[in-house]
Amino acid sequence: MSQKTSPIPLPSGADGFIRDDRANNEFLVPRKAFTSPEVLAAEYERIFSQCWLYAAHASELPEPNSFVSRRVGGRELIINRDSDGEIHAFFNACSHRGAMVCREKTGKNKWFVCPYHGWAFNSAGTRVAQDNETGFPDGFFDGGSKDLTKVAKLAVYRDFIFITYNSNAGSLSDYLGDAAEMLDLVADQSETGMEVTEGNHEYSMRANWKLLLENSADGYHAMATHASYFDYLQSTNGSFRSDFNPSDIGGACTAFGNGHAAIEYVAPWGRPVAQWVPQWGDQGRDAVNQLMETLIKRHGEERARRIGEKNRNILIFPNLVINDIMALTIRTFQPVNEGYLEVNAWSLAPKEEHADVRKFRQYNFLEFLGPAGFATPDDVEMLELCQQGYKNMPEPMWNDISKGMSKAINGSDDELQMRTFWRRWNALMTAD
Amino acid sequence: MSYTREQIEDFLYHEAALIDEWKTEDWANLFTEDAEYLIPPTENPDANKDTALFIINDDYHRLQQRAIRLGKRTAHAEFPHSIVRHMISNVRIISQSANDLVVNYNQVVYRSKRQITDTYICSATQHLVPDGDSFKIRSKRVILATDTLRPQGRVSIIL
Ligand code: FES
Ligand SMILES: [Fe+2]
Repeated sequence: MSQKTSPIPLPSGADGFIRDDRANNEFLVPRKAFTSPEVLAAEYERIFSQCWLYAAHASELPEPNSFVSRRVGGRELIINRDSDGEIHAFFNACSHRGAMVCREKTGKNKWFVCPYHGWAFNSAGTRVAQDNETGFPDGFFDGGSKDLTKVAKLAVYRDFIFITYNSNAGSLSDYLGDAAEMLDLVADQSETGMEVTEGNHEYSMRANWKLLLENSADGYHAMATHASYFDYLQSTNGSFRSDFNPSDIGGACTAFGNGHAAIEYVAPWGRPVAQWVPQWGDQGRDAVNQLMETLIKRHGEERARRIGEKNRNILIFPNLVINDIMALTIRTFQPVNEGYLEVNAWSLAPKEEHADVRKFRQYNFLEFLGPAGFATPDDVEMLELCQQGYKNMPEPMWNDISKGMSKAINGSDDELQMRTFWRRWNALMTAD
Repeated sequence: MSYTREQIEDFLYHEAALIDEWKTEDWANLFTEDAEYLIPPTENPDANKDTALFIINDDYHRLQQRAIRLGKRTAHAEFPHSIVRHMISNVRIISQSANDLVVNYNQVVYRSKRQITDTYICSATQHLVPDGDSFKIRSKRVILATDTLRPQGRVSIIL
């Protein structure tokens, strides 16, 4: 790791930048970690340039030469398939003088032609010769030095495409470790593969990126922040499973290595895979029951029930969230500055999904999730209130993330998932 | 009977005033019981709500619930209520038959809260049904005329 970083302006103690006091079960995070541009610069260098980052889902690249372009970890990428179907990720910057060569968000391109001086690249990123090109000696473009630049590494796990800007990074499977099992529980919902559906949510929050990470698997905030969402469920006939008892939600948090964590708990609401609620009617019941039967055939009763009837909020360090709740969302986000983040979110579904179930899924997604749902706008409000609250520093210096620290097993409404993130964050930010 | 643009404009201004004055339940009562209130994805305004992920996909029940929720202190994003203003223009009657008037218009909506003003530039299509000397809304489809929801970050108001 580079030693050129200027000192990170955070109070540093025995545990580094956090206070991880296991003897007294107190866990503190400095608020300045959310407000300092120097901390953000260090995060770019030590986290976003080092870790594996989620980039795209293979279903977004259905054919040879399909591409998407988007920011990943703050950098503009083209993620595509070449003519042979192989997946690549290139920096969206011309090897001549740097103009973005791709200006569309998605499509199919055999060639990327830079609009500035017309340099052309094939879908494998190779600079291709132009007619009547003068001013360059023979062989100038051979050897690949003028090709589009690839990211350091790319790997795919169960159709989730990850990249890293770190050429020394270990393998993706080592990085995911046991958290891969959580991705399996998502990918196994389909026999033929999962797909990102049409339409995505590209929005933003006037808050530090770590606030959204913490919020995305925070069972503790649900009853307070989302009281009006639960009111809505109460006044919607048949939206809860009939045998649901709020004290059953319980659940548990699992901390994986490398900062990944997940909570799993009982789903009070319908799940397109595969928990029917009366709101979906008899036709919906048949479709969902059939789904559960095929899940049981493929995975056995116990695993099928876990896949289909449990909610899970999955945090993959540093900025991938997969929430498998009343719908299934892939959410990724990145800082633009210390007080502003960009979110991209997609709806993920089995390719073979029954049309009625797909309809419930997309309808369900919006009752809670998304920038106009009955819950997410209130999350945005809370994160922005936090960011504004941090302006009161330096006196209230620390956030408390101690809930559940004294317990052997943390529930979905404890805070082990956030501590897991912060411990990893701290390790990377304080590494030599 | 055929309606004039002025009659349609009067109705749209009335609807906008209910939203701007936070009379959200009165707003919801402008809709027929088979109504829909939609905001399609920014990249495909023509998308199908049964297959694609929309920004808003409300049926009558959910738009009523949206209206009720926005009156609560626990609808945190809108407590206290932000200041909202609709500016409506370019109103065109696309077609009219006995039971279906199709109206197109543009609107700019401003939302102010905590010293930040967000702007929503939209076009919209409504299907209206004559109702006494006014109308009911059977369908309202608001198309965001921006390529993403940055920097507004949310649609916590009614557009
Ligand atoms: S910058 Fe791309 S061809 Fe010159
Ligand atoms: Fe939330």
